[in-house]
Parts: sequence; C-alpha cells; structure tokens
Amino acid sequence: MSASPSDQFNFLNRRSFMSTGAAGAVVPVVGGCFASGASAQPSPARDGRALFSTELKVNGQIHRLPLDIRTTLLDALREHVGLTGTKKGCDQGQCGACTVHVDGVRVLACLTLAATVGSREVTTIEGLMKADGTLHPMQQAFVDRDALQCGYCTPGQIMSAIGCVKEGHAGSDGDIREYMSGNLCRCAAYPNIVAAIKQAKPAMEA
Amino acid sequence: MTIQMSKTFAATIEAPSPGANMGQAVPRYDAREKVTGQAKYASDYAVQRPAYAYLLTSAISLGSIVSFDLEKARAIPGVLAILTYHDMKDTVADSKFFASGGYLGSTIRPMQSAEISHDGQIIAIVLAETYETAREASYLIDVVFDVKPPSASFDTLGAKVRSAKLASLLTHDDPAVGDIEKGFASADVVIEAGYSTPIQHHNPMELFTTTCSWDGDKLTIYEPSQSVYGLKNGVAEQLGVDAGNVHVVNPYVGGAFGSKGMVTHRTALIAVAAKKIKRPVKLVATRDQGFTIATYRAETRHKIRIGATRDGKLSALSHEGWEVTSRPDSYAVSGTEATSRIYACPNVSTKVNIVYADRNTPGFMRSPPEVPYMFALESAMDELAEKLGMDPVELRRVNDTMREPIKGLPYTSRSLMACFDQASSAFGWSKRNLRPGSMRDGDWLIGWGCATATYPTQMAAAAARVRWSSNGNVEVETAAHDVGTGAYTVIAQTAADKLGVSIVKVTVRLGDTSFPPSPVAGGSITTASTCSAVAHTCDLLIARMAQRVGGAEDGQRAARVEGTQLVDSRGGKEEVAAAFERMGNTVLEQYGEWTPDGGGKGDIKSLYAGRSKITGGAKLKNSIQHAFGAEFVEVRVHARTKEVRVPRIVGAFAAGRILNPRTARSQLMGGMIWGISSALHEATEIDAQTARYINDNLADYLVPVNADVERVEVIFVPETDTQVNPIGVKGLGELGNVGTNAAVANAVYHATGQRVRDLPVRIDHLIV
Amino acid sequence: MRPFLIERASTEQQAVSIAARVAGSDLAADRPFQFLAGGTTLIDLMKLDVMRPATLIDVNGIRTPEVSSISLENGVLRLGSLVRMAHAADHNAIKSQFPVIAESLALAASAQLRNMASLGGNALQRTRCPYFRDFSYRRCNKRVPGSGCSAMDGVNRLHAVLGVSNDCIAAYPGDFSVALIALDATVEIAGPNGTSKRPFADLHRAPGATPQIETTLAPGDFITTFVIPATPYARRSRYVKVRDRQSYEFALASAAIVLDMDGGIVREARIALGGVATTPWRARDAEAALKGRRLDETTAQAAAEIAFNGASAREHNAFKIPLGKATVVRALLETAALGIAT
Repeated sequence: MSASPSDQFNFLNRRSFMSTGAAGAVVPVVGGCFASGASAQPSPARDGRALFSTELKVNGQIHRLPLDIRTTLLDALREHVGLTGTKKGCDQGQCGACTVHVDGVRVLACLTLAATVGSREVTTIEGLMKADGTLHPMQQAFVDRDALQCGYCTPGQIMSAIGCVKEGHAGSDGDIREYMSGNLCRCAAYPNIVAAIKQAKPAMEA
Repeated sequence: MTIQMSKTFAATIEAPSPGANMGQAVPRYDAREKVTGQAKYASDYAVQRPAYAYLLTSAISLGSIVSFDLEKARAIPGVLAILTYHDMKDTVADSKFFASGGYLGSTIRPMQSAEISHDGQIIAIVLAETYETAREASYLIDVVFDVKPPSASFDTLGAKVRSAKLASLLTHDDPAVGDIEKGFASADVVIEAGYSTPIQHHNPMELFTTTCSWDGDKLTIYEPSQSVYGLKNGVAEQLGVDAGNVHVVNPYVGGAFGSKGMVTHRTALIAVAAKKIKRPVKLVATRDQGFTIATYRAETRHKIRIGATRDGKLSALSHEGWEVTSRPDSYAVSGTEATSRIYACPNVSTKVNIVYADRNTPGFMRSPPEVPYMFALESAMDELAEKLGMDPVELRRVNDTMREPIKGLPYTSRSLMACFDQASSAFGWSKRNLRPGSMRDGDWLIGWGCATATYPTQMAAAAARVRWSSNGNVEVETAAHDVGTGAYTVIAQTAADKLGVSIVKVTVRLGDTSFPPSPVAGGSITTASTCSAVAHTCDLLIARMAQRVGGAEDGQRAARVEGTQLVDSRGGKEEVAAAFERMGNTVLEQYGEWTPDGGGKGDIKSLYAGRSKITGGAKLKNSIQHAFGAEFVEVRVHARTKEVRVPRIVGAFAAGRILNPRTARSQLMGGMIWGISSALHEATEIDAQTARYINDNLADYLVPVNADVERVEVIFVPETDTQVNPIGVKGLGELGNVGTNAAVANAVYHATGQRVRDLPVRIDHLIV
Repeated sequence: MRPFLIERASTEQQAVSIAARVAGSDLAADRPFQFLAGGTTLIDLMKLDVMRPATLIDVNGIRTPEVSSISLENGVLRLGSLVRMAHAADHNAIKSQFPVIAESLALAASAQLRNMASLGGNALQRTRCPYFRDFSYRRCNKRVPGSGCSAMDGVNRLHAVLGVSNDCIAAYPGDFSVALIALDATVEIAGPNGTSKRPFADLHRAPGATPQIETTLAPGDFITTFVIPATPYARRSRYVKVRDRQSYEFALASAAIVLDMDGGIVREARIALGGVATTPWRARDAEAALKGRRLDETTAQAAAEIAFNGASAREHNAFKIPLGKATVVRALLETAALGIAT
C-alpha cells in the first residue's frame, strides 16, 4: 500500500459475479436435492441463490429443510435443525469444534456442504446419550476426568475422541495426543482429555 | 509414523484428594450439560425470524471512507439492509472508556463517522434473510478510502510515547523506593537486559457473537460476557435507554480470558440494527474479525537492571516498560506494580511508558500485567543467578520477604519458598547440572528452568439471592460468570456447605441480569467475591431461621447448620426440618450483599450500575495480598532443527483455601499451558506498513494442540489466610500462567546456552 | 461464498464432460467450475471469497477403481485421487513399503481433515500465504494477476526461499506431494481430450511471472491416479517435518528422504523439500552429490548446502535457509539410521 499521505484508491473493486455457468439445456443434478419454488427467481434450477429443499438424517431423524445451497452442515445443524451442540469456533477447519460423524467418520461440519451429505447419517453430540439418560462412555469419562472447562470445544472433542478410539488411534498416550490434535481447547484441558479417552476406550470396546 | 517426541508419560489423571484447607473435589456442576451439548451459549439461543448480520470491516488502518457503493450488494435477493455510518451516526451515544468510569473497552467509535482509526474497524453491517446471503453481499460492497500511513507499533513513524504516570487514566503510579543509584553502586554484580513480548489475542473458542431482540422498549441481548451488568448498563447508556429495559442472557461463556470483559461497540450497533429492521438480529463475527472488534494483549518492551551483592541479595532493581495502545485510549497494564514488590530490595525504580499507535485498543488478557512484566523480571533473575553462579531457586530464597519493599506492607500470607521447595522436589531439580548445554538425550538438548508465579488477590462487592425449600432444595441466583473456571461448582459447594445439603440439591443460576449482580469475571475475583456473597447470604438465611431457636429474636445473630441441625451462637439447636415445619414448610428466600474489606459504601450501587470496584492486591492500606507459585519446566530442543518442546512442567501453588481441588487443578493446569503457549507459540503478526494483523486465524495464530502437552503436574501447597476474605480464598484463574514463559525461556537457555529475550522463543532465534 | 450450482459425477469421464459443458457455457468466467472432493481447501477459500466457482462438480460419487482405490502390484503403488488421506496414511502396505508417503500424510492437517481430504485435492492445495487468502489485500499476483505482491515486503516468515520469483514468494504448503516427488511418481489424468500421464514433478509450476497458474493441468483435467513406481528400497524412507508446534500445522521446513544404501555407502538418494519452496521441490544436485559416497555428517551437510544453492530470503524468512539445511541433514541421517528388516 502506498505510504503517500493521501492515497485515494478504490478498494474491493471486484468484478461482479457472473450469474451461473450451467448450460441451459441440462438440468443440474444437485446433490440429490431438487429445486424448490421457494425463490421468486425466474429459473430456480439455474440460480445458485435459490433455496433448495434438502433432507438431512441427523441422529436417526430425518429433517426436510429449505436451505441456501451454500449452507454448511454446521450452519444447517445450528440454524435450521436447531441442534446447537455442534459449535462454530473458526468456520475454517482450523479448530475442530464442529466435529460430527458422517456415516460414523469424524469430519468437520464447517467444511461440509449440507447439500452434499445426501442420505448419509449425521451424528452429533445430541445423538450420543441413551433415551434413559445414560451418557455415552466418552461423555461420562469427560465428566469423570474434568476434561473440559468452558465447554465450548467439548462436543467436538467428544465426537473426535469417539472417532479416535474407533479408528484405532487411541493405543497409546502419544497416539491419542497426536490424533486429538485437530481439536483445539483454549482452556487447555488436554491432559484430562487424554485421561478421559483412556478411561472410555475399554468401555467402548467392551 | 513416528511421533517426534521423545518420552511418553502417563497423563496425570486423578483428581487430587483434598489436602489441608481444601474443599471436596466434586465433579464440575455443569459438566453434564456441557458433554451432552445442552449447555446454551449465547449464539445457541433461537430467536423468532432472525436477520443474519455480517460485518464489513476496514481494510485500512488510518484514514477515512470517501464513499460506499452498495448497489450490487443491495441487489442480491434476501438482503434486508446494508447499514453504514450514514445510517448509524448519532444512533449510538458517546460513552466513556472503562478506566474513566465508563464501560467501553475502546473509545474508537465505529460507524459514527467516516473516520478509520484501526485495521478491521466495523464499517458496515449487512442484514439478510440468511447468513450465506449476508456474507456474499459483504463481498460486493465497494469502498473508496482516503488512506493515511499508519503507525503500526514501536519504532514506526508517528508512534508517540508518554509516561504512563502522566498519561494513564488508570491512576498509575510508578512504584519506587530508596536511592537507585546508590543501590547499584553498592552492588557486586549488575545485569542489564532488554526483553520484549508480542501482541497476543485471547482467541477463546467461542466467537464474538451478539443477538439482539426488541420487544417494544425492552431489549434482550444474548452475548458472551464476563460482565453482564456492565454490558446491560453500558449498552443502555450508548442507546440512551433505561437500563431497566435491557436484559442480558448468557449462562455459559465459551472461554473469555479477558476478551469479553468490556463492552465492545458491536452490541449497540446490532441493537440499533435490530430496531431499524424491526427484527431480531444475530451476529456471529468471524474469527478474523474477532482480532479487531475486541481487545488483545499489546506488545511490550522492557529494560531491566538488577544489582546484587555476592550473596545474591538484591541491592537495586530498575524496571522500565513500554506498552502499545491505540491513539485515544491510554491503556496500560503497568506490571511494575508486581515486579517492584515481590522480592526484598531496598532500592527500586520503575517506569511505564505508553506508546500510541494506529491500532485497536488493547485490553485485559489472562494475567494482563504479570505475563509480560514477570517474563522480563524472571528472565533477568535467571540471568543474575547465572552471573552469580547461584542456583536460581536459592536466588529467590535469599530475596524472599514477608514485607513488600515499596511501602513495607506485610503480606497477609506468602508461601513462595514452600512452593519452590515442593515443586523442585517433585521435579527433581537437585539433579540439574548448572552448566548450559550439559544435558542431552540423543538428538535432543535438554534444559531445565524455573520461575516465580504471582498474582494479586483481589475481590469486589457481590450480591446473591438464595432460596431454601423445606424439601431441601436450594437455589442460588447471581449474575456471576462461569467462563470455564468452575464458578457454578464452587458456588454450589459454598451453598451446600453452608446449608448442610448435598450438592445435588443445589441449583445455581448465573449469567443473567435478572439475578442480583456479581462483579466482572476478571482479576481472578469471582470465587472470592461471589462465594463470599453467597456464603454471607446463606448466613443471613440461617440467621432468619434460627431467630426463634430458643426464643431469641436477634435476626443478625451468628448461627450455622451442623449436620441436619440449626445451631445458634448460644448452642441452641433445632432440626432444620423442624424449623421448616415450624415456619410452615415454606420456601425461604434471602437476598444478600457483600462488600470486601477495603471496599467502599457505594460499591454495591456501582455493581448494580455495572462497575466492579476491585480492591485487594497492592491497593490496601495495611497489607498486601498475593498468591504465589513456582514453576519448573523441562524443554527439549532438537540439536539440529531447534524445535522447542515441553515434555513436562511442574507447578506448586499456594492460594489460600482451595474450594474444589478438581476444578482448581484444571484452572492451574490450563494456566500453565497458557504460559507454555506464551513462551513458544502465541504471537499476532502485524504488517509494519499497513498496521494490519496478518495471522488472524487459528491455523496461523498458534495455540498449543493436544500433542504439545505431555505431562503437567499441579501441586497445591496448603495455605491458610484468614485476612484476605471470609472464605480465605485467593483466586487462581490467572496465577498459573505467570512466570511460565520465563521458566521456559530460562530452560531454553539451559539447554542451548542461547538467551532468548524476545517472545515467542522460536526456531528463528535458535538456528544460526 | 458466491452462489453456485452443484452437479454430480459418478465416473471420471462424466466429471470431465460436465466440466467441458460448464466451461463452454460461459467463456468469460476464468474458473467457471471446480471439482469438489473433500472440500477442505475449496470450501475454505470460497468462504474467503478467494475462489468463486459457479459450479461445483461433486466427484465424491465416483467409485471407479482408478480413482477410488489403492493397489500395490509388483511393487507399483497406485493411489486413486479420491482416496482419503487418512485411508492412505493407515494403509499397512504403504506404511511398510513406502513409509515416507504414510508419514507425510499422517503428519499433515488433523485427523478430521485427513478423513475428508482426498489425495488429489491435497496435492493441489493452495498456498497459505495470508495475503493470498485475504481478498482485502489489493496486491496479490496469484489472486489478481499483475496487482503486485504484498508478501514481498510484508510479514513473510512462512514464505518460500526456493523457486521464488519477483512476482510471488508463496510457499507450497503440502506434505504428500513432497513424498510423491521424491518417489518419481507419475500422475494420470482424465481430460477433455482423453487420458494422459506426466511425471508428478511436472505437475506444479514455479510462479515465475504467472503465479496465478499453479499447475500444468488444463481446464477440465481431472487427476485420477498417482502412480509410484516399484522402489524396493523405499522401505528406507522418511518424512521429517519441522514446525512451531507439534501437530496440526504446516511445515516450516520438511524433507522427504529415500535412501538406497550399500552398507554405509549411498547407492541412490532422493531428497525432496517442503515448506521452503514455491512448489514440491526435488533437490537433484544434492542427491547427485551423495551418490557413491559414505553418508555421514560431512556428506549430509555438503548435500544440504547444495540443496539450498540459490535460495533467496526476504526479511522474515531467512531462518528457513539454515533450518532447511538442518532438516535435510537430520532427515538424511535419521533415514540412514533406520533399522530396515531385509
């Protein structure tokens, strides 16, 4: 940037967005979803801003949602399904607070488009507890080991920890630390998180 | 794969069993809600038909806005409004800096004019039906700026320096005693060195969010806050509305570390936006925006000179500090308050300077004064020990004192050397070879270092409401804040202990301005303040119940619950159940207020107005109150590539009564890891030409990950202090991360022979 | 994030033909589409408004073996481009036969990201240069060709010292590609004009005067497979990654080493560097210097010096030159010391 005392420039002058690139003759297949009439746009199928009705299977329940196609799984869960246990800590794949399971695999909901989840099963922190109120062994271990402080990263830590055990990456303290390093805890409950995973692992494997 | 760390230790997993002067290590009160995803943080609250807000922030650091082109952005379907200073000026009243008796963490007022005073200043708010639309529209706003060259930091053209004593509104006085030149003249050994610490951002995991919803004249704010009464009153003042109409809801805070203590401008702006479009507005600011719309720890520089006689006794100590702040706000942490007082020294001279640059205003960040200033002092002490050929622990011992040197006030209690002795023994310090570079494990150089931790014991007035039912249930309500500290838990324990009920019978409600006020969750004051108020309120309740035990009528008489019985001061006894029956099986409700010694008459009134009058530490007339600790660190530095890792750290702390050793241990452990982070990881990089933060994200602003932390051992040194407050608590939320950075740097010196005086210690320093 | 449409491909040919159609419909758009695999780079950069595809071609439904599987036959390792990083990192045969690949993957990103990210996407990940990633900086030749470079005189601690130009010093951030280039991998491509292959070493382009062009791929080219030739001695290989924190961070410097040893004598050495260069970087001159020599401190140092011949630093990244050299020495000696069962 120029250091002249008064340097006037036009900032952010970017080209305007070109509406879409889809060929007119072909109806796009949109992540298993279909175009809804929710938008007043003349040609919803060609408008990337139109709302699409999509189905998400979360914790065994099917939710039919009208979503902007740009909606991440994280925002879909929090703002549309109403499951706010999954947290937004960075929205850039840099903190792990939004970790959920998709078909049993731990992934980041902030970098997953809801429209691409399709029929796969999403499991969130709210889906772990049994109907009778019994906690998942990992949840119980986090309580027992005081593996949390402010609690904001905790849902992501727990979902990640379950994945860590299932993947077979909880065989040693060193492995647990390494394979849990995608979940930042600013309160730094890390040693207690390692202890919790060690406590829960045999119970999960039993 | 190979994990590049040499040793695997078992994690320290057991909750400590209570020692002398400790409460029970009960599990965290709020753990179940937090592990099930049920704990509601501010942005988890659903409001009716929210409009989503997205901030546009300034890409320049100094200058003004010439024009906006909003046309393209407005044309996007779903955009409800785009607000700029044209719409917002005169909607938010001028308000005072917190240090001048106001509420604001910065007096730089965004969107009230065309002026730009720092990088990332809020310049527009896009409101849309969806988050995705609001974000897209923000990209399409064209702004023409008139740019002026900004001053980024120290040494940049235009940065102005003033003495804090003259400039600071924090009533800073440079502590000094004796004759400094005489002190140096009588020294056998003198060391002199400069140190620096970087910009750091709190980066709590929870983003800076605000949801505002109007119902007629009544405003509800959902926002993470360390001071809900401050937020309520501050926003009311800015909006010119009756504070009684503002309700702040925030039962859980996703980490704060100081960043959520002061009122930021976003809240009033979002409230105005919600009023304008007649809909609730929800803002979840992005991670990078959090670097500029809230506060941070400013960079500091230090010049330290210490003189000592051969036996290690300090004869002179001079500490001069420089701190960066924004143009308008004279913010300084002034850590010489502590560094001038913790060692015996007859001749002390200190000075703090404030450097004004084109930056957002800094603010409190976990152990605000001590982290930078104690880094300098504790590094210098290590350099002095080296020069004297003395063990660093022994150097602390010969300078230990029960009276602070500036005014000669006695410490109410001080267990520094007990901390050093217990930590050094657990660490195995006696096996240390003094010579730098003498310890090695394969390709890893090993170094051991230590430092003193200290933090003032502070508190403020607090109020609480307690309800006690004949079925044994107890409800406690106070607008305190659990920022991860365990406040819910220790408050529940306090009420349970006082009223003789099981903790499972106690319900605690916090973080809501419909409850009686508690002070800001800062300065490690919550436990001492709020638990004192809760204990006092329970005492009032018991006294009311006990009024008629033995027929006495004196409502203020001392009484207590022992087991299942009420016992009055004359030994009169009655079963609690019988007392409830006698009173008609009612619910007894009691409101109570508590003001600490050193506090004033108006403190409760101030508290209701959202201002916490904090007392204690070095502010008292007849004594000084501090908690102490000692930290020992092992570092491993790769002999070739020079990465520094910390495989183990041991800290011993004495902080008066420990209400809950489990949550206290977590606090101290987290603090120590913060200290490691301060030593090795954290630094906000600033572009010198544009005065913009460069690494404003969690991939580039490094905080430790799980793999960075191996073994952390926390030792509680039993300490009883009956003077600090009725419950004997000193507070330890900030103690753990003081001195750690110096202990790490000292260990790095021991490993490598290279003295790094500028944090963070990085490969850059060590590879030459 | 700009608006976009999603199309779904179930074969690589379909992906390519959708791309051709989409590109054909709007020639004015510089990048009318992007293939969406794990999305860990793409979705991130779309949120930052740095990437603005009008169409996402979701390729995650492709199940053809070329693209979605791992095979090891006659020592030749074929890695489908849609294999997830975690899958390859945990693959037993890769861990034993090509440890440098498994390590480069396991030391990258985080477990969650490795579960999501595809090998192809990882190889093509964009730089972490903060001035590139933040569109509010006017000057970035990679983002806006001809606009200048903010990093050159800005905060450039993480930037490259090898392969830089006057227009761009952005570092290539990946790890897996460093292992691939060390192993003389080939990349197989499905494109508008059929399939083709080229050396992996020819995939990435140094910035030169056109830093916006990062690879030699033509629009619509879709990487199907990485082929690693039979390299029996690759069992003696290692990936050393140096960073400020222990995990979940990009490399300050890294080295992929593959050694063919005859006792203490080097028959053949492969040295590739990460974190210090604008592209995955092969240090062939350094390799040549080791050939036929005994590998020890002195020869390793000499090779490291050669590897950084011509390195050029800016204000904050000068440390990367000694660090890069130290990384090479460390990695060479550690690889030589590996106990390899024969």
